[in-house]
Amino acid sequence: MTHKLDLTDIQGNIIKAYGAYNFQKARYLFLRVDQGDKGRKFVGAITTKVTSAAPWGISGDDAAVKPQATTNIAFTFDGLQALEIPTASQRGFPEDFIMGMSKRKDILGDDGPSDPANWDKIWKEKVHIWISINGQSIDAVKKRYDWIMEQIEVSNGGVTLLTGHRGEKSEDDLPYQDASVLYDATGTPTPKEHFGYTDGIGDPVFEGQTNVPARVLGRGKLMRDGTWQPLATGEFLLGHVDEAMEYSKTAPSPWLLAHNGTYMVYRKLHENVGTFNRFLEEQSKSFDGSKEMLAAKFAGRWRDNGAPIVNAPDDASKAEWDKKFAEADFAGKKRMLTDFTYNDDIHGARCPYSAHLRRINPRGSLEYDVKDAYDTPGALVNRRRILRRGLPYGEVKDATRDDGNHGIIFMALNADIQRQFEFVQQQWINYANDFKEGNDKEVLLGNHDAKNPSKVVFSAEPGSGKPPHFVSNIPRLVETRGGDYFFIPSITALKAIAAGIVDPT
Amino acid sequence: MATKSGNATALTVLSPIKNGTVDETSYADITRERCLRLPIHENSPLSKVPNTYLARLFILDDVFYESLPANDAVFNFSDITSLFSDSARKKALPRKDHLKSKYLVFSSNFYGNLEDYLAGMWEKWSYVDHEGNQRDIRHIWEHCVAFDRVTDSASFISYIKRCQLDASLFFNGSTDDSLQEQLKALYLKQEFTQFAVAHQGKNAAEIQQAFKAFIERVQPQNLESPTWAPGKSTP
Repeated sequence: MTHKLDLTDIQGNIIKAYGAYNFQKARYLFLRVDQGDKGRKFVGAITTKVTSAAPWGISGDDAAVKPQATTNIAFTFDGLQALEIPTASQRGFPEDFIMGMSKRKDILGDDGPSDPANWDKIWKEKVHIWISINGQSIDAVKKRYDWIMEQIEVSNGGVTLLTGHRGEKSEDDLPYQDASVLYDATGTPTPKEHFGYTDGIGDPVFEGQTNVPARVLGRGKLMRDGTWQPLATGEFLLGHVDEAMEYSKTAPSPWLLAHNGTYMVYRKLHENVGTFNRFLEEQSKSFDGSKEMLAAKFAGRWRDNGAPIVNAPDDASKAEWDKKFAEADFAGKKRMLTDFTYNDDIHGARCPYSAHLRRINPRGSLEYDVKDAYDTPGALVNRRRILRRGLPYGEVKDATRDDGNHGIIFMALNADIQRQFEFVQQQWINYANDFKEGNDKEVLLGNHDAKNPSKVVFSAEPGSGKPPHFVSNIPRLVETRGGDYFFIPSITALKAIAAGIVDPT
Repeated sequence: MATKSGNATALTVLSPIKNGTVDETSYADITRERCLRLPIHENSPLSKVPNTYLARLFILDDVFYESLPANDAVFNFSDITSLFSDSARKKALPRKDHLKSKYLVFSSNFYGNLEDYLAGMWEKWSYVDHEGNQRDIRHIWEHCVAFDRVTDSASFISYIKRCQLDASLFFNGSTDDSLQEQLKALYLKQEFTQFAVAHQGKNAAEIQQAFKAFIERVQPQNLESPTWAPGKSTP
């Protein structure tokens, strides 16, 4: 029988990227629990407004009305301790989550400007609770925010809203982190981030999600016969079987605490827009192609419409791709954006191995054309996938400058932070042994270091007579400004935490 | 098992450490501390021993006990005996062994033959310890059984050969070329990458001119210098 998820039990942000459902605005709050009993009562109150993954606007038992604003909640390990879940349950959590993000800085490459010492002030405190509000309008966000402020008030010293976010007017003590889609000159929302790339196209698709056959192409796991299958649910939700046909070892006890929950990595990533623009300009002078083509080589997708460079490797083929794209229907457009492999690009001549897209999801390309190297072409990739959530924050007031407060609120959701998010960050973003590229770092997110300058190589097709292209002296384009590791419980588990009835015996 | 793989040799040495103590610290623990405090990278004594690809030193305190796997294809005999008594089950398990002494274990992968390598160890192994003392190879092996009879290169070679175990594990990250060849290749690769980056897009004549100067500077045929220093980990 097909796997059917309890969508009313799973928090909505795990299944839905709200930005794709016209939720253009978001606000993230971080709280400290000062008193366990009052803190639990507060969690209970918030739980009444927590948005589940129930589909919107579809009639049936699971249907829900699409709200003006959503609310979701998650906890750090310190937070779960402060809420006094039983010691036996605490002991079941994995080491990465217990340590928290700042202590994992050596693994994540959060050094130099990304070092926790340079993060927003709020991260110098113990953060316990994360609450997100996504709204279809800023008014809807504010209304929900006011409601949460009331609950904090009602908690009567149970929880404290933490301040210390950097803001637009060089404030460093804001009580929340706002995020928003970026708008074009006409005020129309766009799927862009501050470097101009189109973001959030190819999130993984896993068993139990709705409408899988239409979405799985290029987003599930690549099979030997070239078809795509949804990834195992257990890669993204605890209490479900994963790609190894096992239940995740990262699940705490009891079962009800873990089941339908997952882990979330929250990162505030500052984008050095001035440096990026200068770097792109400078590098494009020695590049055999347009500036836009070079930008596409960095990311693996063209900035304007997200066309995968593996299928539109130069300016001429991009023009052809655009023509086909314009003529395609909605489903056809989706397919053109996601349904591709690197099978005809083993040398990385079209999409470089150091391009963002190929690093975070190499699809079948780690087989390097060796026949049946693994069980399936994607075997090495299927255990390293993450669901990506988040929105841009801040405003670029001067595109020649780096300072200010603008970047991406990036959230990675997975069942095992160490095996999935941390592995990708450490081995695929900041190192390249798996890609046979030595220690070359991924262009956009790599923790490039001026003292030991980075380079990447854009290979040429063997036999083409063209030389490879080197991109050198890559500056640090993205800096970490804060974040932590959170546990997103199911709604059942939330109620149990709130009631103080989590029972691991 | 073969201790040679092409030009590479694998050496595994187990030297028994004297039982006994000095000021309530065992000889094994004194030796362990000396191993743990060895300087690393360029300052490691192993970086001075010619042709070492990869080597490690540690103390073997005892052997590990291996019980039976939790489940055989059908059943474990010891599981059946447990129906009678727990002591019956334990009697059916493998015997527990212990070592008579602790061992200093040295395992190395290197280029060339054993005698030459050991002669190099005797002559070149040197470092300044954490207290500023100059140390030679005898400092590490000092408390091993019968090492006091080692007085020169020949007696060191024969001592180590008596402690040699017929076991081979080869370091996958190395070819079987001489260390000098490999270090020069590493150096050339690094330098050539920088050359390629620095001259990208220039015309052929210019590149040829620069390449001549490059070759003159890096001297590909000269293995002595310029080259990558043994043990060096970062540029």
